[in-house]
Amino acid sequence: MLQYLIILLDDTATSFCHYLNPSKKRNLIPQETLKQGIRFAMMENLTIQFVYPEYKLPKGYEKIIDSIDHTKIMPFCAEYDHEADVYVADENNIVEILNVNRCFSTIVLRVSQYFLLNNIESIRHLIHKTDRLNISIVDIDSFNEEDFNQYSSALQILSQELQSQYKSGKTRQLNILTDRLFLTKMNNCGAGDTVVTLAPNGKFYTCPAFYYEDEADNLGNLEQGLNIKNAQLYKIDFAPICRHCDAWHCNRCIWLNKKTTLEVNTPSREQCTVSHIERNASKDLLERLCEQGFKFPNNSISEIYYLDPFENKELWQQENL
Amino acid sequence: MKELSRQWKEGAAKNITFIVTKDCQLACKYCYLVGKNSRERMSYEVAKEAVDYVLNHEKDFPEKSVIWDFIGGEPFLEIDLIDRIVDYIKTELYMRNHHWFDSYMFSFSTNGLNYHTEKVQKFIEKNKSHLSIGITIDGTKQKHDLNRIYKGGNSSKERGSYDDVVQNIPLWLRQFPNVGTKVTISSSDIPYIKDSVIHLFSLGIHNVSINCVFEDVWKEGDDKLFESLLLELADIIIDDGWYEENACSFFSEMIGKPLDSKKNNQNWCGAGMMLAIDAAGNFYPCTRFAAYSLRSKKPIIIGNVRDGINKNLLRPFLSLDRTTQSPQKCIDCEVASGCAWCQGENYDAARTNTIYERSTAICLMHKARVRANNYYWNKLYRKLELEGMREEFEKNKRESRPFIC
Repeated sequence: MLQYLIILLDDTATSFCHYLNPSKKRNLIPQETLKQGIRFAMMENLTIQFVYPEYKLPKGYEKIIDSIDHTKIMPFCAEYDHEADVYVADENNIVEILNVNRCFSTIVLRVSQYFLLNNIESIRHLIHKTDRLNISIVDIDSFNEEDFNQYSSALQILSQELQSQYKSGKTRQLNILTDRLFLTKMNNCGAGDTVVTLAPNGKFYTCPAFYYEDEADNLGNLEQGLNIKNAQLYKIDFAPICRHCDAWHCNRCIWLNKKTTLEVNTPSREQCTVSHIERNASKDLLERLCEQGFKFPNNSISEIYYLDPFENKELWQQENL
Repeated sequence: MKELSRQWKEGAAKNITFIVTKDCQLACKYCYLVGKNSRERMSYEVAKEAVDYVLNHEKDFPEKSVIWDFIGGEPFLEIDLIDRIVDYIKTELYMRNHHWFDSYMFSFSTNGLNYHTEKVQKFIEKNKSHLSIGITIDGTKQKHDLNRIYKGGNSSKERGSYDDVVQNIPLWLRQFPNVGTKVTISSSDIPYIKDSVIHLFSLGIHNVSINCVFEDVWKEGDDKLFESLLLELADIIIDDGWYEENACSFFSEMIGKPLDSKKNNQNWCGAGMMLAIDAAGNFYPCTRFAAYSLRSKKPIIIGNVRDGINKNLLRPFLSLDRTTQSPQKCIDCEVASGCAWCQGENYDAARTNTIYERSTAICLMHKARVRANNYYWNKLYRKLELEGMREEFEKNKRESRPFIC
């Protein structure tokens, strides 16, 4: 069921996920389109997430935006000091964030796997600076076997940091390690299912990445309404691999699915393996925290012997026989 | 009714298909190959690279056996090339002590026009113990020539191919006595199906695999006509005793039953489990995903002979099941078993670029077939009971197998 509407305020709106925003040219959403988008969200009972560009919006826009309860997703830059609900940062912002004398609410950190694996200490320090850190690896599809091993080791370092934070009474959140501790079912990106995106051209898209990839690949427009063809394929019940999976925190990026396997409902091996490395690291963290008396919705995560549920395909296919 | 002959090592063999040419002498009206041409012919070098890739990656092809399939267009137009490829495969399997050595088959679907030629016959003689050859003949001359016409003619001067094919049938049956033929039914073929099946039986072809095309070609009333002709066919097969020695896939005890959404959730189509290679050296999950087979979608290329297979592109094919791609009406269908689909046609007809949307264009035709099939078995069993033959029939019968493309 649709719950959220992402509104891109400009073609240069910051990317807050795996995709790269290639747009260099400003194309601000017209005020009338913005108003219509807000009206649509009100009528459909949707929560709006506004995604900002790096420049300050012209006069009049903030008043329209404030006409509805919303979340602001903004790039980490001087223009938006203390204004964002969610700041989006990349590797160039880390030093600045660490030097700011305040704690943020939520930071999305977009990094390459190379940067992450080679700068894990910096990222460990970032955990102190925000209540929630969302790490978005922008090139998951490039992981190889060696990277998987290194990622597993890197997560151990972050896991130790989270454990010591918990001990000192600070329940910091790190999406790739703590989300799984609190979930009881799949909670993924939701593009095309729980969330759609409105672009400055007044058309709906599965997510911003689909807009930047191919403007013609839209899901309808504000005039004629949403028209999601094969909408069932965005739901977990219609994802043969994912519905047998318990890496419930997995981003399950619909755009990456489409990019790597040509199907929105099928993740790549790299996506599955990365998520299972995180799942297994979450399992270890959960066990250590439970030993220290912390309580979670589930006090254990089962032991499994695969990192890609697709390799387990014959087993779950036989379970049905 | 006799059992339809089963495919060699059915389910246990890897199917590797070489699209050796996109050319054909015919321009069959129902042919799904929309991009046939005489330019795209596979070179020996590309074929060799493909064989090398497959044999170099033995672990990725663990199936106990292999069927090397050669298709076109018309594969026997490239008999010289095929002969070289086959020699290379046999040599390499032996030299590498490959696990497919002595567990391989070479398979051909041909229009039969060149079957008698010296080159083809020499090839057959050389490889006979490892060959499976199917000749397509659609039935009576009238039915066959309705669709299977030579290319190059215009609508007023169409030339059918029946006479040139049928002359090769006795030779084919002598060389491969247990073979069958595949018949494809489109809207305009329906009036001829009864006579065609009986005609094929009378030619000595005991296994007739026959199916309706998956494309959305059906007109209002086609299902009713189809049903009435199948009922007449059932009467003839039973009353005249054809059922004792012959098999026609229209009638099978396996079809027309509800399917459990968990226990009977397998995919019908083998796309993704097979590997097809075109003249450019591109790999496809099935030939139906090559550009020349698609009306409205881009081809799905899963790799090539140089870079290998992108396994991520195979994941959707290999995890696909029946219910995930089916609309609710198919999941709830009371006569679902035996209702087939083609993954390539599903993709081509889908509203989005997905293989996960099942085309239901054959729905009414399947239901008509089920009703006629029910009639067939009720009538046959009653006849056998009255003759005191039911028990013996039950003891000796083997299930006939629905046709799979």
